[in-house]
Amino acid sequence: MGYIKEPDGVDFVIKGKPLTDKQKQAISEFIKADKERLAKLKTRTTKSTNRQRKVWQ
Amino acid sequence: MKKRKKIELDFEIDFLTNSIRNTVSGDSFRTEVLRLAKSDLIQITKKNGWNFNWKTELDDNSKEVYKLTIVDNPNIVQGLISFTINADHVYMDLLENAPFNLGRDKLYEGVAGNLVAYACKISFQQGFSGYVSFTAKTRLIEHYQRTLNAMTFGGQLMIINTVAANILIDKYYKNG
Repeated sequence: MGYIKEPDGVDFVIKGKPLTDKQKQAISEFIKADKERLAKLKTRTTKSTNRQRKVWQ
Repeated sequence: MKKRKKIELDFEIDFLTNSIRNTVSGDSFRTEVLRLAKSDLIQITKKNGWNFNWKTELDDNSKEVYKLTIVDNPNIVQGLISFTINADHVYMDLLENAPFNLGRDKLYEGVAGNLVAYACKISFQQGFSGYVSFTAKTRLIEHYQRTLNAMTFGGQLMIINTVAANILIDKYYKNG
């Protein structure tokens, strides 16, 4: 079990203003695109692993 | 047909293991995350060194406010977080370490990371795949990229995605 050590002399502080509708929309689009990117990456990794297995069999 | 008695819990507890470390002794302590209660506000004041107005956060029904404490020492607040549950992710509004956990002489390390991991956990529980966003201070952006694997998203907005959220949760909630 670990923990994140803050760098010396640095304190993690968050003070954000409420998100605007425009920001929320932009974040939603980013999340959608990021999920698609991660899904593609996963598919590619799975295919690559399967191909490797065939070679070794 | 018998009516079922509705049981509602008005508190949530999540145990974390060895997730904050005393900088003097080097010992790690089990912690828990609890909803902040109005009674806690007596100690969380600007006079006592807290920077943000947590009463305002607590009064805002659109936000959820949690405190991090050491197990068996629930009266000493180590850090606070407030966040908003949006349509597809969690937005961290405020996060602050207790005054004695600030600067080079801080008493405990790992408080902020612990609270961010909790926000990620809530995001998964809400079905948001761990996505968490927040506004970072400009000088801290690089640190958040390096330590939280957060991504910049135009200006000071940052996002923690599924992969980064899983890393944080593994770090703090592996046995939880």
